Amino acid sequence: MTLLTTMAQMDSVTIGLWVTGFMMALVIIGVRVAFAAAGAGFLGLLWIFSARMGFNKGLLVAMKMAGTIPHSKVSTLALSLIPTFILIGFLAYHAGLTRALFKAAKRWVGWLPGGMGVATVFSAAGFAAVSGASVATSAVFARIAVPEMLKLGYDKRFAAGVVAASGTLASLIPPSAILVIYAIIVEQDVGALLMAGFLPGAVSAVIYGGLVIILARTRKDFGPPVKGYSWKERFKCLPGALPIFFVVGIIVVCIYGGVGTPTEAGSLGAFVILCMALYKGMRLKELTGALMETAKLTVMIFTIIWGVLLYVRFLGFADLPAAFSAWITGLDQSPMVTLIFILCGYAILGMFMDAIGMLLLTLPVVYPAVIALNGGEAVTAAESAFGISGVGCSIWFGIIVVKMAELCLITPPIGLNCFVVAGVRPECSVQDVFRGATPFFVADVLTIATLIALPDIVLWLPKLMGFT
Amino acid sequence: MAGSAPVLTDRSPLSLADQVFHKLESLLNLAGGIVILLLVFLATANILGRWLFSLPVNGYVDWVEQAMAFLAFLGISYTQREGGHIRMDILVTHLHGRLLWVIELLSTLIMLAITLVLIYGSSLHFLRAYSIGDSSLDINLPTWPAKLVVPVSLTILALRLLLQCWGYVRAIREGGDRPVGVPLVADAASLAKSEAEAIMGDSDSTNVVEQP
Amino acid sequence: TVWNVSLWGKRRAFTENVEKLADLVDKKTNGDFKLKISYGGLSKAKENLDGISIGAFEMAQFCSFYHKDKNPTITVTELPFTKEVSLAKIADIYKKVYANPIVVKNMAQWNATLLMPTPLPQYNIISKTKPLKSLADFKGMRVRGPGGIMGVLGKLGAVKTGVPFSEVRQSMDSGVIDAAAFAPHAHLATKTYKVGKWATTNLNLGTANCPVVVNTDALNALSKQNRDALLGSVDEAISYYVDNYDNNTTGKYEKAITKQGLTKVTFTPEQTAELNKLAESVRADWIKKYAKKFDSQALFDFTEKLYAQ
Ligand code: NA
Ligand code: NA
Repeated sequence: MTLLTTMAQMDSVTIGLWVTGFMMALVIIGVRVAFAAAGAGFLGLLWIFSARMGFNKGLLVAMKMAGTIPHSKVSTLALSLIPTFILIGFLAYHAGLTRALFKAAKRWVGWLPGGMGVATVFSAAGFAAVSGASVATSAVFARIAVPEMLKLGYDKRFAAGVVAASGTLASLIPPSAILVIYAIIVEQDVGALLMAGFLPGAVSAVIYGGLVIILARTRKDFGPPVKGYSWKERFKCLPGALPIFFVVGIIVVCIYGGVGTPTEAGSLGAFVILCMALYKGMRLKELTGALMETAKLTVMIFTIIWGVLLYVRFLGFADLPAAFSAWITGLDQSPMVTLIFILCGYAILGMFMDAIGMLLLTLPVVYPAVIALNGGEAVTAAESAFGISGVGCSIWFGIIVVKMAELCLITPPIGLNCFVVAGVRPECSVQDVFRGATPFFVADVLTIATLIALPDIVLWLPKLMGFT
Repeated sequence: MAGSAPVLTDRSPLSLADQVFHKLESLLNLAGGIVILLLVFLATANILGRWLFSLPVNGYVDWVEQAMAFLAFLGISYTQREGGHIRMDILVTHLHGRLLWVIELLSTLIMLAITLVLIYGSSLHFLRAYSIGDSSLDINLPTWPAKLVVPVSLTILALRLLLQCWGYVRAIREGGDRPVGVPLVADAASLAKSEAEAIMGDSDSTNVVEQP
Repeated sequence: TVWNVSLWGKRRAFTENVEKLADLVDKKTNGDFKLKISYGGLSKAKENLDGISIGAFEMAQFCSFYHKDKNPTITVTELPFTKEVSLAKIADIYKKVYANPIVVKNMAQWNATLLMPTPLPQYNIISKTKPLKSLADFKGMRVRGPGGIMGVLGKLGAVKTGVPFSEVRQSMDSGVIDAAAFAPHAHLATKTYKVGKWATTNLNLGTANCPVVVNTDALNALSKQNRDALLGSVDEAISYYVDNYDNNTTGKYEKAITKQGLTKVTFTPEQTAELNKLAESVRADWIKKYAKKFDSQALFDFTEKLYAQ
């Protein structure tokens, strides 16, 4: 028997494993992830079609099929939120919103033990309400908050760690590019997911803040409080930070006041912030720079989206997600244990991969499995394994898995947020930042455990709005 | 990881080709950015028009869906030139000299191969829409322009990849650690730093990677 | 023989004709011919015709309004004919239209043969405004609906407003749109009835045409026995579908709007006549628009006669 006939006779799970292994090999030798996934997806399609209709026809069909995917996958209304969310972050910086916010937070909560750290956490949470990307948020605050903390004699690692961790809040608190991506992959309502992220984001911020206070109290040299701001000074700095709340207000009013849909609200926010940035004197050169960077980041994300979806298309033809979820649901243990194993898998994978790439690669297989584990898409809360209805489970799992992916931004060896902070602050080495972020890793695990134990933190707002 | 990797220049034909081509790529990327800005304006016009005058933008959803391909593809070659497509560089940052350039040449050739396949497939996808017909859901916009932008952008990417192959071949022949015309492998920290600078949009900090 | 079948979403009333067909074919051929149904795994809904034309899968379902220019001929059935027709009758009309040579030629461009209709009842409107008293009340109403229906209502002053399907309920709740026109299953899916105050019962300004289509080469390559099993099961699959849709989906929808206390708005014969008059120009526009591409007048007359019978 020749190799080709052997290949043609393999079952689809074996083919799927070979192709996935091939993709991992490409990723490891440094092929850009989007193209590694697209290449593996194409080879998989070629394999499957060749087995069905012979090599020559199979090659032609596989090439034609692969060629439909890039256009088809990006032409989706909901994905238009991603460039908008990225643009908002760039513009907010130019509008001076970030500095103003940090200044206000400093005067209001600076008196706490580790007060500047608490101020960083809460101003980052505020900035998260207009920024859609974690890495961008960390970069901005590394520039603004770290020097102030060092000046006050804060521990270098601690200061860097707070900033790296606070950046991750941007992906839970809406707007969030990664939640949109999740919604697209699992075909859930984007609005529901964005709403669901809000409370967990706030809970994360509170847990971070509490952690900072505890750390500052137990270790004397960590962070002295900043005292002596009068109430007058406190109120005086508020107007500068107000625009953020104004923008958040506009978005909320837009959605609930019947002015626009959630998809449109992001654009309206971007428009308002653009006007602010122009008013603050942003020049054409800066606008062009912001547009170039937004376009580049957008292309990067979209390329990985369609590249991975080409691989996912192959998985569809190989029927692999169904096989995986059959295996998962067939495991002889409690669903919760299985879920925790899945999350541990994410923690390990996330050590090496970036958040978006990781979710795109894994969700098409893992998501159906988790839904099946809970009892299926149409299951009621009472009959389900996790006590959540089918729709609720997909929202709940989305928030958990995004929090998981965010946690991976601060774990070594590849932790994008930590790299960014070290990159902006030459005085902090990457190791310093990772060391400083370690307590926040513990806080994140705590947060995830809380979200698993109390799904209502995630589901309360979406329920209130009539989703689920 | 994302970010930008520095590309060195000199007066060789390779580097000149790289720089001229980079101008074209930058223009296309900016065009993609402008499409994003226009989308923001369109959505704002749609909201305000509907809210104030009961006059929504006719076919708003269709226009957005058609615009997506432009903003997703116009900058694809620029992003490759800047080293902006996500990759895992845990292995390549540990390699040096010829071995590194051989591996880089290999991965560039793999990218080129898949890009050529996609050019063929997406051209046919465009041709079907153009010759038989295809239109958007709400106001029947023709979809072929958006479908055409895919093979065109991918062709430009393929040319960029050819240039990079040329650069790596030269690097293999000449050896050394600092070839021109290809994205250098910076270590993760400096990559992140350049990304952070891009986010700030200012240049008051020190250089990303010291130039020779 | 195994055929890949590309559907989208999840199994629902809308897909029961294909599920039943797969069942029947499997039984009739003792498992020799299987239809392997995939929900969204093989293609995006709007690219199902492309996938058929490429030969990536052998059978698929699509809706003609997704991409009118891919399939201009069958959009004739979506025109507002203002006739009260049962679901079984719609299925019958579609089947005859699919066999019309003009339509067959159009689909041949995609290397496709229309196998079986997925009939849907006429669309009706659910709205959250004050219950409609006269046709004039449509003035200024923001409605999400397909082209044919909006062509007529637009003449009464309604504003066509597009929002994504997934945002329909929330858009209506918040007032971005006042009303939405759907078939019963889509009203159930979007839960518009939870927000609305009234629902029309006999709008009769058109419905969607969502055929099940097969790759022509694959159909020709089937053994005679398998081919007979496939073609011979179509009628039974349709009647199973119609029965299920009428009793379960439409029934469930009617229960839902009654339970939520929606006011039922039924147009009088005079109002229907007025709507029909407005619809006339929509139909004439259709004929004119496609006159250059195919004999649109002949196809229109053919279809109109079927509706009139
Ligand atoms: Na955010
Ligand atoms: Na990590």
